[in-house]
Parts: sequence; structure tokens; C-alpha cells
Amino acid sequence: MFGKVLKNEIRHSARYNLTIYAVALAASVLMGLSLVIESSGIGVASCFALYIIGIITVVITLVSVIKNFYDTLFSRQGYLTLTLPVKGSTLLLSKVLVSFLWIIVGFAIMVATWVLIFIYVRHQTADEVSVIKGLISDMGILELLPSGFVVAQVIVVLAILGVSKMLTYVGFIYFSVTVANTKKFQNHPRLFGVITFFLIMSVTSRVSDFLTVKAPLTFFVTSEKAFFSFDIMGSINGALLSYGVGGTIFSAIVALGLLVLTGYIIENKVNIK
Amino acid sequence: MENIIRIENLKKSYGKNTVLDGISFNLGKGEITGLLGPNGSGKTTLIKIITGLIKDHEGQVLIDSQKPGVHSKSLIAYLPDRSYLPDWMKPVDAINYFADFFADFDKQKALEIMPRFGVDLNQRLKTMSKGQQEKVNLILVFCRKAKIYVLDEPLGGLDPAARGAILDFIVENRSEDSTILLSTHLVNDIESIFTRVLMINSGKLIVNSDIDEIRKTGKSLEDVFKEVFPYVW
Repeated sequence: MFGKVLKNEIRHSARYNLTIYAVALAASVLMGLSLVIESSGIGVASCFALYIIGIITVVITLVSVIKNFYDTLFSRQGYLTLTLPVKGSTLLLSKVLVSFLWIIVGFAIMVATWVLIFIYVRHQTADEVSVIKGLISDMGILELLPSGFVVAQVIVVLAILGVSKMLTYVGFIYFSVTVANTKKFQNHPRLFGVITFFLIMSVTSRVSDFLTVKAPLTFFVTSEKAFFSFDIMGSINGALLSYGVGGTIFSAIVALGLLVLTGYIIENKVNIK
Repeated sequence: MENIIRIENLKKSYGKNTVLDGISFNLGKGEITGLLGPNGSGKTTLIKIITGLIKDHEGQVLIDSQKPGVHSKSLIAYLPDRSYLPDWMKPVDAINYFADFFADFDKQKALEIMPRFGVDLNQRLKTMSKGQQEKVNLILVFCRKAKIYVLDEPLGGLDPAARGAILDFIVENRSEDSTILLSTHLVNDIESIFTRVLMINSGKLIVNSDIDEIRKTGKSLEDVFKEVFPYVW
């Protein structure tokens, strides 16, 4: 049954996201076309469009995750969803997994658009790039920069932290929307949804910020390597970057707890209006 | 007769507003029960509790001897008082959706019946009239071989001619020995199909009677309804 819930969840939510992905694809094709026909006008316009689309994709993905959650559980569609012979926890798990999928796709598209823009700009300014490269090389800056492998490690860790942060927000939002649709709050669900979200956010952020700085678990980047260490932020000299991950882990644990609670509320407390 | 729905001292309130006030009744297998009452009498709340959409109530609700949950949802084919399908769906999508989730859903029957009732399987629901959408919902529900059908105002938005056709459809397509609970305030249209009636007002059960008992008194259901709810007419 879980497979069927997951399949239908993807089908329901795909409509919102696929449109913006199609627009991103169209802009990419236009940009590629501008290289072939050597039209800088089209190239610059599609380049700009792609940059905007890259950012919008992430925003739309998040909005669609929230909208899909509300629509399918608490609007008139909830009459169907919540009378399916499926446990509330199964519905919630499928929603979390599918939102995770879309968030990953959204970020991947944003990164892909930026890579495409980079390739385009590099192609258009090949001469200038080689001059700048020569200058950097002459000044000896290259030796100070981390290797490609380290940069790749940093990108992977930052991507994981970014996705974890997004999923944390999704957990907060799912919980807030669900609580707002229980008996005590459902006369003003939007108001209480927003209040609950900002309450959780502000409390969690304060603790998370504290732990980011003070908890002895940090991601360090030097010119030679990237690594995790049981030290606090800024404690290693010569690090190009240090980021305490204690706060992120704390937020993720809180979000996980709230998701479990959300499953319980859907199963036992939610009233459909 | 074996009871498939058992309600005992059911209470539900929204804040200070009591919607259901100590309702008790049983419904046996095979009964077609009319749930009658004016707007705001608590019919929809009662139905939502039976279908598991409202959970925070007092009193006991047992469906096939179990509290509302996954088991009861697999037995109940529910038609709410509004369209519950997403607008973007086509009837064919809705049929596939029902086939995925309800083991008792007869997909082939739905694919055959919808065109016979003038429903285009590939037309988006949002481009259909309200009446067409209601038809789609009703056909989906009655293509399930369910043990219990719970229908909330299925005739509300239909003209008198369509009501007759829909009632015939309900009677012809319900699975054998199934129990139907149908809420309405249109008494005279439906009187002929009921075997039992429940009348509720202001959250209280006023009448719980076999339809034959009412007929023995020489009164029609409409007469009894007018006596109980004189202000509705």
C-alpha cells in the first residue's frame, strides 16, 4: 500500500513542479541555441532568465510542498485522502519522502542552471578568462586555494546541510499546518498556523544558533583538506571555513520529533471542517 | 439482524456549541437508513465521525466491531456533500486512484458506466458542471462492492428528474447485504427506498424507527417529518 500512496503523492505534487522545470529547460535550450546562431542578445536574455529561474525553482518547490500538504489533507481533498484505508503515519511518510525528492530536484536544477550560466559566460569570455588565469597564476594565489577535491567535498557537505535545513523547515511547516487544523485552533487555522510556525522557529533558531557556535562538532576547510572535528567553530588556525553543525543536527532532531507528533495528530486529533 | 454500525451516547461540540448530544443507535446489515434533519441539525458531523474524519468526540462508535480506522475505512464507501476529487483530475485518473486504494473497487464497471451516464472519461473535472462532477463521485462510490455506503446529501444539487435516476442507480448498484446511511432533507424523493429512518435535530435523536412501523400508523414519512420539523416547511 505504501508504494501506491507514494506513487499517487508524486503524481499529485508533480503538476506544480514540472511547469517550472519545463521553463528552466526551455531557457537552457534557448541559451544553447544562442551559442549556435551566435546571437548574444538571446544568450544574455536567456542567461538572465535562467539565473532567475534557478532561484524561483527552489521557492516554488517549497511553496508547492506546503500547498500540496494543506490541499490534500485539510481542504476538500482531505475528505478523500483521510478516508482512504491508510494509516496517517503512512500518508505523512510519503509526503515527507516526496517533498524530500522535490527539494533535491529543485536544488539540482538551481545548481544546474548556474553551471550552465558559468559554461556560457566562460565560452563567451574565453580570452578574458585566460588573461585573468594568467594574472592569478603570476600572483601565486592558486597555491592558497583548496584543491578541486576539497571544493567538491565542501559542495557535498553544504548541499547536505542545505537540504537538511530545508527538510527541517518542512517539518516545522507540516506540524504548524496540522496543529492549526485541530479542534482548539481551527476557527482561525491560518493565524494559528503562522503563530505556531514562528514560535517553533524562534525558539529552535535561538538554541540552534547557540549550538552552532558552542557545540564541539564543526566542519573545517583548509587549503589541503575538508574534515569534521570535535572542536568548536574558529578553533583551528588557518581554516578557510569553519561551520558548527551542532545547531543543524539539533534542528533536524526537533523537526523529526515534530513529524512524529504530526503523524499522531493526523491519526487522532485532526478535524476536517 | 447483525449490527454493523453501533453508536453509543455520542457527543460532539465545537466550543460551547453542542452539535451532537448523546446520540445512540445501531444499524444492521442490509438496512437502507435515511438520516433526516434540517440544515445544521448535526447530520454531517455524525457522518464525519462514522467515516473517521472527526476523531475528538465522546461516546463509542464501532464499525464492524472496531473503532473508526483503517479497517472501517476499507469497509465504508463515502460520498461527502462536496466534490472531494482534485480539479485537475480526469474521471479516468479518479478511477485509477480508486482502483489503487480500494480493493473492492470494480474498475471495469466504472469505465463502462461513466460513458453511459454521459461522462467523458478524459475531460478534466474542473471543466465539468457541478451535476457532472456529482455523477462522477457517485459512480466511483457505487463501483465499490462496499459493506457500508455513507452518503451525505447526494441529491442536494440535482433537479427532480435527475434525483429519480440517481436513486435508481443507488438501489441497482449497491452491493448485496450492504448497509446504506443516506442523509437528506428531501424526504419525499427518497421515502420509497428507506427501510429505517433516523431524525435528528439540534444534536438529539428524535426518531429512530423502522419504516414499516411508520407506515402502520397510516402516516407517510413526509407527514412524520412535518410533525417533527414543522418550521422547515
